[in-house]
Amino acid sequence: MTLPFFFLEFMTGLASAASLFLLAVGLSLIFGALGIVNFAHGSFFALGAYFLFALTHGDASGFWHYLLLAVAASLVVGAVVERVFIRRVLNRAEHYQILLTYALLLIIEDVSKICFGADYKSIGMPKGFEMPVFVLGIPFPSYYLGLVGLAAATALLLWLFLHRTRYGTLVRAVTQDREMLEALGVNVPLLFTVIFAVGIGLAGFGGAVSLPLQSISTGVAVDAVISAFIVVVVGGLGSLWGTLLAAILIGEIQAFGALVLPEFSIVFAYVLMAAVLLFRPWGLLGRPPTVRT
Amino acid sequence: MNRTFNRYFGLMLLVVVAAELVLAQQPPIKIGELNVLSGSFAAYGKSGRQGAQLAIDEINASGGLLGRKLELIQVDDQAKPDVGVQEAKRLILDEKVNFLVGIDSSSVALAVAPLTNEYKTPLVVMHGATPALTEQCNPYVFRTSNNARMDANAAADLAAKLPYKRWANIGPDYEYGHSSWNDFIARLKEKRPDVEVVGEQWPKGGESNYTPYITALVQQRPEAVFSALWAGDLVTFVRQSNAFGFFKQIKLFVDPIGAALESIGPLGKEAPLGELFSTRYWFLQSQSPTNKKFVDAYHSKWGEWPSYNAEEHYAGVQMLAAAVRKANSLDADAIKKAFEADAGLTYEAPEGKKWMRPADHQVFEALVWGYTTPSNDYPFVVLKDITMIPESDTVYPTKCK
Repeated sequence: MTLPFFFLEFMTGLASAASLFLLAVGLSLIFGALGIVNFAHGSFFALGAYFLFALTHGDASGFWHYLLLAVAASLVVGAVVERVFIRRVLNRAEHYQILLTYALLLIIEDVSKICFGADYKSIGMPKGFEMPVFVLGIPFPSYYLGLVGLAAATALLLWLFLHRTRYGTLVRAVTQDREMLEALGVNVPLLFTVIFAVGIGLAGFGGAVSLPLQSISTGVAVDAVISAFIVVVVGGLGSLWGTLLAAILIGEIQAFGALVLPEFSIVFAYVLMAAVLLFRPWGLLGRPPTVRT
Repeated sequence: MNRTFNRYFGLMLLVVVAAELVLAQQPPIKIGELNVLSGSFAAYGKSGRQGAQLAIDEINASGGLLGRKLELIQVDDQAKPDVGVQEAKRLILDEKVNFLVGIDSSSVALAVAPLTNEYKTPLVVMHGATPALTEQCNPYVFRTSNNARMDANAAADLAAKLPYKRWANIGPDYEYGHSSWNDFIARLKEKRPDVEVVGEQWPKGGESNYTPYITALVQQRPEAVFSALWAGDLVTFVRQSNAFGFFKQIKLFVDPIGAALESIGPLGKEAPLGELFSTRYWFLQSQSPTNKKFVDAYHSKWGEWPSYNAEEHYAGVQMLAAAVRKANSLDADAIKKAFEADAGLTYEAPEGKKWMRPADHQVFEALVWGYTTPSNDYPFVVLKDITMIPESDTVYPTKCK
């Protein structure tokens, strides 16, 4: 393989990594703070894409301003779901939480079938990104570069929010000691709603900006949540940079894997996950548990 | 004068009411239609139903079949063979359908075909195109649409006349994709021994991300690419390819069902131009009164132009009705005889003559190929520089007797 093509594959891998990161980072954030394993996370990724498709009617020229609306809608859905459903199982045993989020996955799947139809949705490249750019003499989708930029900016903003703002400090604190925070007079239920909504908003954002990369139809939610879990498990649950690293690893593994063994490219991601689970069960950048609960 | 008119009118009314009563007393003839109604191929299920329904409405309006009304029951086979078999069994056993029709996916068609022997319920396939289906010489399986071998052979004949030597394939990784490419490249190599295959890409049917396949194709540097991608798969592939400027890097893209309205419709201005596409029926091609009447009726009923799947389902139901009339019975063996008798049933469809070969129950018909070009009259690309492949050129040998 020549250098330009190596670069082409590498950038393609980065573009899918960008999509994977946006999908998985919300899952990681929600688990870190609320301790909820959200099986419905892929459904919110799909919902974001459905919202965008419905708003644009499949015409990519209105992509950017409808993107904001789609993300706003996802935030609202996230907040409502947390208030109505998630809140009730926060202090219950884990299997209640899993049953609830799995039920949500099924319900959202059927509701979106009714609302948006069972056919596939796809959209062209967004305004301003219709033409390829030439990288080392080879055409490359400009939108893929845009997507990588969006994901990088999101990662940076999230880090700044978590580590440089007071509210971000509270988010990190609540992952450590919920009771102490409540004792200090912090409105923890509201904090949970905000975190859950932001996590879902990120998933919706990921789904919406991924629509030009991949068409969606029924079943996308399950595929998405599986990918999200692989990324989070490999990176380490609750770790922002771990999620980013794992997304890049898996994106690249799939891009280059498709060249070597096209039919089995999906297997490589599972192999990586199995290896991580065997040798570093807490994930690449996750913290090893001090006390098992 | 007025009184005479009233008398005639009253008499006519009486006849119509009496006919309605007779029709109402007879149980309807039930037709079970299997289509894909979800996922990448869902648009085909919709057009298939609309075409079949139009035929059924026309038949019912003119008195039904054998004095009975027709009733259509459509189910979603999800393009999955196991779901198709399960739904077909349900249609036969619970809904007590007299016929099974439709079927978009070749894999589903192959899986459902054996049921026709088990339950003696005739199956009329109107879309699923693998040649293997009619090579099974199944007594109660009929295909009223042309198959993929006829399309692929025509594509190879056209491609043989072009200067391109480096060919690649990207097709859906199931029966239809593989049989199309195998037939195409075998025939092309026969006619042009200098042709070289530089690569084959096999994304799964319903693939959502074609990027790895596109980058692989780019690296193989083909001059021309053959593809049996269809429906949503083709739409998604074209959009992602456009992002790579892929169609500018190759000289020709060939797709036997690329000009289906279910694909070029959603693509609109994003459709690649100057590519060699076919479609099993092109609504602008035939200037016959039959076609004009069909296009007008379809457009006024459904508010869209008839795609090939719509026309094939319309024509398939009409052709089945012709066989039922000829047999004057719903019995599977009588239907088989009616299709086979007199050197095979022929039917004048909107697209032209359909002839069913008695030996293998495969319909042969003329094919239309052309190059995509923008249109001022329609919001999608249309075909120009059209080549018609006559029915006689589509016939290939069969081992069925």
